[in-house]
Amino acid sequence: MGKARRPIQIVVLLLIVVLGGYAIGTAVFGGEAQKPVQGGTPPAFKLLGLDGEVHSLKDYKDQVVVLNFWATWCVYCVKEMPALQAQWEKWRDQGVVVLGINTGEDPVTVESFVRQTGVSFPILYDSDNTVTRDYGIVPMPTTFFVGRNGKISSIHQGELNLDTLDDQIRQLVNP
Amino acid sequence: MIENTKCECGHQNRVGTVLCEACGKPLLEEETTGDLLEMRYDGVARRSQRVNPNIIDRIWNFFSSVKVAVYLIIITLIGAMFGTIFEQESNFIRFDPSTFYKDKYGTIGEIYYRLGLSHTYESWWFILLLVMIGASLVICSLDRVLPLYKALSKQKILKHMEFLTRQKVVYQGDIGLDGEHFVQQAVEPLRKRHYRVHTEGNALLAEKQRFSRWGPYVIHIGLIIFLLAVLFRGLPGLHMDEHYWFPEGEATRIPGTDYYLENERFTVEYYTEDEMSEDFKQTGKIVPKLYETKAILYKCVAGCQDPSKDPQLEEVARHPIQVNDPLVFEGLKAYQFDFDLTPKLRAVQPALVNTKTGESYGKFKLDMQNPQREYEAGPYKLTLHNKYMDFSLNEQGQPVSLSGQPNAPAFLFLIQGPELPAEGVQYLYFPKQIDKERFQQDAINRQLSGQEAIVTLDVQGMEDVDFIASSSYLNIRIDRAMPFVWLGLGIVMLGLILGFYWQHRRIWLRVDDGKLTLGGHTAKNWFGMRREVASFLAAMGVEADEKSLENRGKRP
Repeated sequence: MGKARRPIQIVVLLLIVVLGGYAIGTAVFGGEAQKPVQGGTPPAFKLLGLDGEVHSLKDYKDQVVVLNFWATWCVYCVKEMPALQAQWEKWRDQGVVVLGINTGEDPVTVESFVRQTGVSFPILYDSDNTVTRDYGIVPMPTTFFVGRNGKISSIHQGELNLDTLDDQIRQLVNP
Repeated sequence: MIENTKCECGHQNRVGTVLCEACGKPLLEEETTGDLLEMRYDGVARRSQRVNPNIIDRIWNFFSSVKVAVYLIIITLIGAMFGTIFEQESNFIRFDPSTFYKDKYGTIGEIYYRLGLSHTYESWWFILLLVMIGASLVICSLDRVLPLYKALSKQKILKHMEFLTRQKVVYQGDIGLDGEHFVQQAVEPLRKRHYRVHTEGNALLAEKQRFSRWGPYVIHIGLIIFLLAVLFRGLPGLHMDEHYWFPEGEATRIPGTDYYLENERFTVEYYTEDEMSEDFKQTGKIVPKLYETKAILYKCVAGCQDPSKDPQLEEVARHPIQVNDPLVFEGLKAYQFDFDLTPKLRAVQPALVNTKTGESYGKFKLDMQNPQREYEAGPYKLTLHNKYMDFSLNEQGQPVSLSGQPNAPAFLFLIQGPELPAEGVQYLYFPKQIDKERFQQDAINRQLSGQEAIVTLDVQGMEDVDFIASSSYLNIRIDRAMPFVWLGLGIVMLGLILGFYWQHRRIWLRVDDGKLTLGGHTAKNWFGMRREVASFLAAMGVEADEKSLENRGKRP
């Protein structure tokens, strides 16, 4: 009768290790939603765009995604817009997409801003700031660079200039 | 070491067996003859007791030890004590623990924080201790309950003489009757006392309330469910404890759920002077009497995940939330937490007025958030071109917004109509009177249109201004693990009742050459047991004093 018990023992111990490991793991790494970090997976989202279409992150699978969180009242966001526009025009043929996520402003404001600055990359409305919260945005602008593997390759806080942007995108396009 | 575990009755016992599984004869010679028998687990070997244990057996044996379990519980209790020295991080929202403990408690606080004791109950070692207690519960139970179950379900009726005389309740005496006859006669009185009776020739086994033996194991099952629920409440969707603002009169989505909550009306009441004692009035304190949020909970039934559609809401609950009286709906609870009485402009209804004649062309509603694009007022058409929530002019003299907060809202319209140029004129409108003056609305508009304004927007009275009077800060909690916690505790209670209010009682007897030997065993309430045996013996015509039945194990 000793033989038959061994598998039960192993199953019980394995269960304890797996469940216990999971419990301890969530305690150490935080089971609750955490801010995305470099090397991590960007939280999924589904937002209405300026173009009236619904954009979700998974629509841009296998592409290099530059996620820029901005607002019209944020001076540095406004300043970096031309650089983002220029880089988007430069790289868009090579599977690079720039998504400008507006944090909580309404269409009148955003549309008039886009009209004035001539920005043409996709602009998305995060009207109730859910995505902004999910991404743990504190200062603006904050820009996430997501590689073709779907992982965050870097997070940039503050104004981006043309060269840094170019560098970052180049690294992701030609790894 | 190879032990001879074969009993003289011929039964082959397993290593670690204390009392022969068949006849009950004590197997361990070191047990001094005459002492009371060790009846735990009916003398059977626990599962973990085996020869040549390997690594798996060793782990198993570690957790199967009750001694280890007791130490684990003591260590956990001591660990839990550390979490009660200073307040825990989880008690606060929006604070910085890295400076809080140092500022409040000095160096000790700093050490406390550095050691991670500011989140004792979420630290890895505390969870590890809980997991180990869980492992110990499972393994201890398995290790004991299965052999015990087997031992109790295949009890032999005829027991070894020594087994009987070394019980705690013993009777021996001549009855001068035929054994089988006596045994047959004994069945009825025992059944009357609710025993299940089994006989075999000159031997008898009577037993009742065996189920109470499972009490401790039922308790363990309950504790395991409890522990699992506690450890896994962090799973996605099972737990939420967040704080959100709900402005009055707006159905606001609770992030991460399909629920929307509307703060229909928030009230705060203070104690009046009449309600305060004289002493208290001197302190000059203002004490709130009531915080109440009249809340409506909606569930989104369609268009919830599609940002291009407006969500369709269905009312599911309505409750005046007060402190400690939350709105509850299917595991979601909304508690009153804080409030803000700063009024915020929601909408205005300005009228378009002719500056010369004073003629009004009618009012329209202008929302601060998501305003309409086009408005008509009499013969005039207004198109909203831009909106600034916190109006200002930058160094280049261009209008900008300083923040997303509606501190100084301004709306830029294009007005077309009679007496105006065909392409229309631009018109900047400040709903707040104070901004109108601060930014000199009229001067700006003169510049924008290049002429004196022919029409102007004007709010004519307070009834045309809509404020969000206040905002309520609610604590939204979801704890779907709670039913499992209650279930676990319920099972624990059931186990406690099983084990506490009933006792497993057994009586063995055998008659050898007209001599009756009786042994009785129970887990507790020996007094009741002896009394029951004495009354049974009396019914059989055998006189035995209750006290004389007690075997204190003192005999040589």
